[in-house]
Amino acid sequence: MKKITLAALFLFIFLIVVIFAQERKESASPLFEQPLLITSAGQNAEILMASVLAKRAGLDSKLSKFASPKDLENMKTIVLVLGASSKGLGAAGLDLAKEKERVNLVVEEAQKKNIPLLCLHLGGEARRGPLSDELISAFLPFAKMAIVVKSGNKEGFITKICEKHNIAFVEVEKTADVLTPLKEAFK
Amino acid sequence: MFSFYCRPREIKILEPPPDRHQPYNFVGKKGMVVAAHHLAAKAGLEMLKRGGNAIDAAVTTAFALNASEPFASGIAGGGFMVIYLASEKRITVVDFREKAPSGIPKEIFNDEGKIEPNGLAVAVPGALAGWIYSLKKYGTKNLADVTQEAIKIAENGFAVSQTFSRINKDQYEKIITNAGEGTCYLNEGFPYEPGDLFRNPELARTLKLIVSKGIDEFYKGELAQKIVKAVNEKGGVMSLKDLALYEPVEHPALKGNYKDYTLFSIPPPSSGGVHIIQILNIIENWPVKKWGPNSPAYIHHFCEALRFVFADRSRYLGDPDFIKIPVEELISKKHAKQIVSQIKPDSPLDFYPYFRFEEKESDSGNTSHICIIDEKGNIVSLTHSINHFFGSGIVPENTGFLLNNIMYDFSSDLNSPNALRPYSRPLSSMSPLIMFKKEKPYLILGSPGGTRIFSSLAQIIINIIDFDMSLDEAIEAPRFFTYSAQGKPRSISLESRFSEKTIETLKKMGHNVRIREAFDKYFGGAQGVLILKDKKVILGGADSRRDGHGEGY
Repeated sequence: MKKITLAALFLFIFLIVVIFAQERKESASPLFEQPLLITSAGQNAEILMASVLAKRAGLDSKLSKFASPKDLENMKTIVLVLGASSKGLGAAGLDLAKEKERVNLVVEEAQKKNIPLLCLHLGGEARRGPLSDELISAFLPFAKMAIVVKSGNKEGFITKICEKHNIAFVEVEKTADVLTPLKEAFK
Repeated sequence: MFSFYCRPREIKILEPPPDRHQPYNFVGKKGMVVAAHHLAAKAGLEMLKRGGNAIDAAVTTAFALNASEPFASGIAGGGFMVIYLASEKRITVVDFREKAPSGIPKEIFNDEGKIEPNGLAVAVPGALAGWIYSLKKYGTKNLADVTQEAIKIAENGFAVSQTFSRINKDQYEKIITNAGEGTCYLNEGFPYEPGDLFRNPELARTLKLIVSKGIDEFYKGELAQKIVKAVNEKGGVMSLKDLALYEPVEHPALKGNYKDYTLFSIPPPSSGGVHIIQILNIIENWPVKKWGPNSPAYIHHFCEALRFVFADRSRYLGDPDFIKIPVEELISKKHAKQIVSQIKPDSPLDFYPYFRFEEKESDSGNTSHICIIDEKGNIVSLTHSINHFFGSGIVPENTGFLLNNIMYDFSSDLNSPNALRPYSRPLSSMSPLIMFKKEKPYLILGSPGGTRIFSSLAQIIINIIDFDMSLDEAIEAPRFFTYSAQGKPRSISLESRFSEKTIETLKKMGHNVRIREAFDKYFGGAQGVLILKDKKVILGGADSRRDGHGEGY
């Protein structure tokens, strides 16, 4: 009985060590390479914030509000900023269906070329709702990693998608806090 | 026993409800200040308590709004003020609308309707001159008194609201492009989150400078030089002379009536006063009370009236210093009847008579309104703006204030009555108003919201007078809006709180509909004061579509 207990204890410690090492490995090893293409799903204003963050992180990035598959030329990562802006869509002369079609083409091309996708949700609570949620549900499952400002994930909507699709997930308090995980995510 | 009956009736003041959209009337006995930020309303109330009159309190509140709601109004914007002087029983209007710089080129809009470069969007500011003109002529306090609270707010800061944060995020591109990453209008280069502390020490220093040197500092001094430099660095054409020549103007109020009520608002260069009177003149011909507030019949008829009003707007309205406007004809009951006779009861028209009308319709729900009544019954109804939220996004060096982008209010059509001319004032939709019932002040009202202003205010008035709603019920009630362009009807925008049945009936009538948020700031953020003399009570209503707040005493 004592032997079984001891074996179980060793096994438990072994598992903890393995899991911990794995987690450390995941968080320590970068998932993405440069250069990166930044675009939005929903024509939101946060795309500019993503660009400022990339600049501050010292990343070689290109911003394109209306990115198409040909913009993936020479790119090694796509950063997709999630969240629908009615104002942004209106100003661009797009409706949700057209915007989804555009992003879909980019994501499909990226999949073909094995270019990984990093999703950001920076708009908080204001960038949730039926339109935004439709875009999040459509494109987040293709991501390798998601970095999310907490107020946009109050009921765990984004967490659940990440768990279901095994996507590395980082939640931060505010936009400026995205900088550290963003830096760490890139080689 | 008798003493019990002789005691004056206490006013039961309830705490504001946790749900900010639930109608709530602020209560006062002597005076009331309603504004788009609680700190600004408090500043105005303090001025009233310190013995200032309504004009002193209005200017105090306006300065305080520059510090607490800087994205909607400020010293480098413009607007209109309707003043009622109780002892003289006189109403006057102070017009401090911005003016186009004298060297402005004829064509400033590109094919997409944008003004480029951005510096060309900045007009010569009128707000500071207008506030101080009113203060000197009708107030009792000095510049130091009326800026004290604004300086405190700017220095100490306050927690950013959901509204502030959302607008800050929406306007991020403009702010970072024009004001840079280091501006106080961003938090370390990123938008403010709700609860973050917003401070503006540079604005505090600017206000102190104006107090010590007078407003000539802004129009002729070092601040004027900084304004001109900032505008022209962004491709604008403003000169020091443009600023030095700016003067507010005072004119008589525009008068109209609706049923037993008399309304006073502002004449052109705002279209607001004309149109609100027009709408009410038209509505007066229909049994709206019988139809009910959210009924398809009411919405249909109101929208048809609006489409005719927009046709008139495009045909006649502009700066009266440069064109002749048939104001009396437009606000006549006869003109209203002509319009009524053309409206079908169950379907929209295909065509609304027009001259020319540009397609341009801004989605922005900008601007800000202040309502004030003091103990002696003096009243101020003040609407002012820097145009789009965060204006042009340009902040003159180390000044902390945002420059307007009011040039967007000109028409891009060179043949329009609202065409751009050097030193002319662009057409506005602001409609600050005071309504009287049997010659006694009854309702003070105004709102931001671009071209939705006069539509939203007419709906609030009808909600109170015809649908017997309380003040804040009337303000919070679901809103709708439409217009006509090139003579054709546009979709009806409706807040999502209207029933499916109503929406379906409107569609069956032939209207296209667009559903917006349940409480959408697209329709404005109205502030109102209702004076119930018989009940010896003053009610304040502040719109939850923005951060409206009332303070009574």
